[in-house]
Amino acid sequence: MILDSLKLDGKVAIITGAGRGLGRAMALKLADAGADIVAAARTQSQLDETAEAVRKTGRKCLIVPTDVTVSAQVNALAAATVKQFGKIDILVNNAGGGDDSRVVQLPEITDDEWRRGIDTNLSSQFYGCRAVIPQMVKQKRGKIINIASGYGLRGGKHNFMYACAKGGTIQLTRSMALTYAQFNIQTNCIVPGVFPHDEATKQFFKGGKFIPVGRMGEDRELGPLAVFLASDASNHINGELIAIDGGGLAGGIAPTGVSPESSKQMAVEK
Amino acid sequence: MASSNASNDFSLQGKGALVVGAEHSVGCAAAVTLAEAGARVVLASQEPGTDKRLKEVAKLVNAAGTKPVIRVQDAAMRADLSATADLAAKELGGLHILVNALDTPAYGPAEADDDTAFDKIMENNLKTVWMSCQEGGRVMLRQGGGVIVNITSVLAERGVPNAALYCAAKAAVLNLTRALALEWARKGIRVNAIEAGWLDDESSPANKDDEFSKTILKYLPYHRLVKPEELGGALLYLVSPGAGFVTGESIAVDGGLRARV
Repeated sequence: MILDSLKLDGKVAIITGAGRGLGRAMALKLADAGADIVAAARTQSQLDETAEAVRKTGRKCLIVPTDVTVSAQVNALAAATVKQFGKIDILVNNAGGGDDSRVVQLPEITDDEWRRGIDTNLSSQFYGCRAVIPQMVKQKRGKIINIASGYGLRGGKHNFMYACAKGGTIQLTRSMALTYAQFNIQTNCIVPGVFPHDEATKQFFKGGKFIPVGRMGEDRELGPLAVFLASDASNHINGELIAIDGGGLAGGIAPTGVSPESSKQMAVEK
Repeated sequence: MASSNASNDFSLQGKGALVVGAEHSVGCAAAVTLAEAGARVVLASQEPGTDKRLKEVAKLVNAAGTKPVIRVQDAAMRADLSATADLAAKELGGLHILVNALDTPAYGPAEADDDTAFDKIMENNLKTVWMSCQEGGRVMLRQGGGVIVNITSVLAERGVPNAALYCAAKAAVLNLTRALALEWARKGIRVNAIEAGWLDDESSPANKDDEFSKTILKYLPYHRLVKPEELGGALLYLVSPGAGFVTGESIAVDGGLRARV
């Protein structure tokens, strides 16, 4: 039965960046589908809130404060999961972030800023994959979900570290998928469109008027996709990117969501 | 222990689905999946003369959950597609889901193809999809929304020898999907695609005891062909209410084939 294959009862899922936003939304939906949750993030208080919400669904939640840019901490996260639950079924490499609205001229980007951008968004996901793979290979099953971005596929003005790292995420996903298919481990990417978490982002994207469906995403909308990619219903989907972006990538930003005859007016408004 | 709620997110209770090309293995599997998730289904053929096969498919769909309506038609005829879309809306209490599983594989050397081959291959694999989207879309626009899934192939994004026109048609379906998704984005209709990998079914060129099939199997990440029912998860996700922010997208069900060099 197809609906049974979407259940995650008895599964154990690690989610990084689980303290807020998309990470928390995915953790809650995975728990809702039946998985016990290992919530990782830097800020303890936010993790506590996530854990409380997870436990309300009737699932267990292990909190592991983690800085995903430090590989030793990511290794410890995997070890703590195995110690507590004896296995790792699902890893969601979600932690990361970029600043879309910040304009910095290229010559002003320091070596340190470059490395921090790459570490936060790409090295963190590599560390996550590397940390869980021995256990998943031993189990001969596993699901890894890397969170990428439309900027991993298309460029953006003044967007260097984030776009490069997210492009790397996509290639990491493909190479993981091909390398570990033989161990029944599927690695896929979610490519979220605009899911704003602050006013500046909302304003930068003008409330979503350039998104084909005419609106921005809501965090909870990522949940079912995470469940699908974590479940047996996606067992032959591997190395794939699934965009959840209201049609953004199908057309490209500006002018999207408008017909050619009205695009002139749209450009004026912008 | 609380029981999981996953099925709530993906339930299609109360939804009506039209599957065009239901005589094919992929269309049949799609219809079964939709019925399992609770949808009521109209099974429409790609080609006439498929009554017997559609009855077999109907039995499987019925066993999966709901008794389907059968509609034998020629998907190359606009009048047929138009009548089918109207019939589905009437029988189902609205056309919420349209799956186009329209496909007629065509393999052969390019230099041997004449203009009739071009017209026929494009008609079977592209024009039928286009017209079905138009006719289904017309009903959905009238009712204020719906979701369309076009089944295409990984050959939409990869070439293969001896199938130039087939590859071109499959690519066209993919970009047709994107363009329609944008056009109807603000009218409540989502349009997405599934790219099937090399399938294990009767019409597949890759499940023979020959050099081509051996090469394909070696190249596939899982060293096996895709079973039609394995498209079910992607289909159910795409048509479910939980995918409300997903449009103009395609999901490859190919074990990772498209990811590799």
